[in-house]
Amino acid sequence: MKSKIICPIIAAIPLLFNGCATPPPVVYQKPNESPIVTTGINIQDYTTAANDAVNELLASDVLGKVSNPPAVIFVSRIVNNTGQQINTDLLAKKITRALNQSGKTLTTSTDPAAIGLHNEIDFVADTNTTRLADFTLSGKIIETIDRGGNRSLTTYTFQLSLNDTKTAYQVWEGDKEIGKISTQPVISF
Amino acid sequence: MKTRILLPLGLAAGMAALSGCTTAKILQAPPLVDQRITVADPRVSTDASLNSMVSIMGVKTSMTPGGLLKVQVELQNRTTSLQEFIYRFEWFDAYGMEINNVITAPITDQIEAQEDKFISSVAPKPNCKDFRVKFITPN
Repeated sequence: MKSKIICPIIAAIPLLFNGCATPPPVVYQKPNESPIVTTGINIQDYTTAANDAVNELLASDVLGKVSNPPAVIFVSRIVNNTGQQINTDLLAKKITRALNQSGKTLTTSTDPAAIGLHNEIDFVADTNTTRLADFTLSGKIIETIDRGGNRSLTTYTFQLSLNDTKTAYQVWEGDKEIGKISTQPVISF
Repeated sequence: MKTRILLPLGLAAGMAALSGCTTAKILQAPPLVDQRITVADPRVSTDASLNSMVSIMGVKTSMTPGGLLKVQVELQNRTTSLQEFIYRFEWFDAYGMEINNVITAPITDQIEAQEDKFISSVAPKPNCKDFRVKFITPN
């Protein structure tokens, strides 16, 4: 009978101390310096891939060869060939922002309001001031997984191409591989 | 028949015995010591922890065809283990004002044991006249 009373009391003791525990603190962290590494694509990977692409593009000076600089770029499709749901703007915007800031390029707007107003201004003035893009930026993010024993290597390949709209040639190609070794089953959401 | 077998054997044994007496000149390869010295460039900074393991071997600058400043830093891992680090390029205009974009974001990287590695970056704008590179150990 005694044990029937004592046992629940002992079980309840941890609940009393629970209230004293300090909740895990939440602190600000620079995303690019985060110590958390997952097998998925994180913000550091996008930054690394974008950084690589911008450095290569600016060093190649392919953008400076247009007849009337700055070059106009249209961001085409960046295909997601990974098992994850990702927003490819995280990559594309970093690249276009850096290129635009360099003064070497201008990016065509995808804002429907801006496009509509521009067309209306052209219609009212009876002109056609639309400048066609000199280049398109397209790409692919590919995921490959290799397993060996209890370890697996997840590689993300960021393939980017700058295509000349006049010739339809790929005037620049970038390829960045980011590999991650994991000892846990590769499931990332 | 016996002489046919014994004669070559005897000669071979004699030659082998005498060869031990001759002094051969052995050319010794120079010791495998890296003669290069680390560079103390004020534009490159490393935290104490990383500095004890990874050396800055050189800093080179050039101009791209488009008139942008390009920087290349050579690193060397002196240890026998892989080292992780974060680096960040900071770019400044002629007035010393910092210019930020994706090129100036911190990048996580690693260097294999005893490896020599090059890290490069291109200035985000043509008006960038100076730079600084910071290397830190990840948290």
